[in-house]
Amino acid sequence: MLKKTKNENIDLTRAPSPVPEGVPSSVSAAGKTIIGKQLSIEGGIHGGEDLVIEGTVKGNIELGKFHLTIGPKGKVEAEIMAGNITISGQLKGNIKAIDKVEITKDADFNGEIKARRISVEDGACLKAVIDVEREPQPVGKAIDSPVPGAGKAPIPLVSEADKRK
Amino acid sequence: MASFPTLDGRARKGPHPEPMPAYYTSNILRLFSEDLERRPGARVLDVGPVCGENINFFAKKVKRLYVCDMFLRLDQDRRKGLLPERTWQHLDYLPQSFDGILMWDLADRIEDREAQRLTELCRGLMKPGGKAVVFVLAKETVLQTVNTFVIGDNFQVYLRPQPHLNLPLRSRQNRDVLAMMSPFKPVKSFLYRNGVREFLFQND
Repeated sequence: MLKKTKNENIDLTRAPSPVPEGVPSSVSAAGKTIIGKQLSIEGGIHGGEDLVIEGTVKGNIELGKFHLTIGPKGKVEAEIMAGNITISGQLKGNIKAIDKVEITKDADFNGEIKARRISVEDGACLKAVIDVEREPQPVGKAIDSPVPGAGKAPIPLVSEADKRK
Repeated sequence: MASFPTLDGRARKGPHPEPMPAYYTSNILRLFSEDLERRPGARVLDVGPVCGENINFFAKKVKRLYVCDMFLRLDQDRRKGLLPERTWQHLDYLPQSFDGILMWDLADRIEDREAQRLTELCRGLMKPGGKAVVFVLAKETVLQTVNTFVIGDNFQVYLRPQPHLNLPLRSRQNRDVLAMMSPFKPVKSFLYRNGVREFLFQND
């Protein structure tokens, strides 16, 4: 079970022990672990269930196919691998998702993203390198052509003289 | 072509206005995109405002998409009373890193000196032959609201207000834009009936 002070590797795949009363910062229920606001963890986290971080985490996080959520109060500095990742708090580090990365408007992210899909809300603070899985180009697909009528009659603003500059 | 008669009204409606139904087709974004497709392993920098649609659009076209929301950072620093020189430190990429830079209307939201600084920075970050996209809005069309140029299918673009950003619009004349971007060679530009002006520049 997660404790208040941590500086070690944590394996969430182990059989969970009962949650002691009076330790509300970390809760494991219904296949989901919550690292509460009062928790600060330094070290690796390896898990086999969904994880929600509302506290502070520094280290590597590996959740396999499971979902990592960094809540609005969460502060994370980590290399992350998970099935899906939702970021609403602060995250510094590189992330790799099997499927989707979701960045909400409250997020402050600095790092690299590798994922199959990505969604980003307006207002998110982002400094990122994004590597999204490319869709294979269908054979024989024509290059996008202009929509008839739309955008017609644009007026060139650069004169021939300007072009020669 | 579509006009933007409701844009100003939409900007005042609230923090989450509905997407504007009026679109126009961007010729410059098409040219920019076609140029990227000719460059295997292209790297592109988008200076914001952050927009999920645009991230998905370009992330699927280039090898690596870099996003650094300078609109948000300028706005934050401005509110804190910090000088823009500090803000530019976020663009700390290696020289000649990018095949293309989406500058949007960022330069039109800052003073001349800072716009010049931004231009020089972008030139340093761009590979030879790289392209820069610059948009300028007509003042009477959009007033002061910061907008994202949201790219849809077939390079159709609509403007989505970003009410959380407060950066004054300069609405520079064409000659001022060309002077500001003088380190680059102008490739093409278009004026649309909705007041949007689009420019494509090349780093020679």
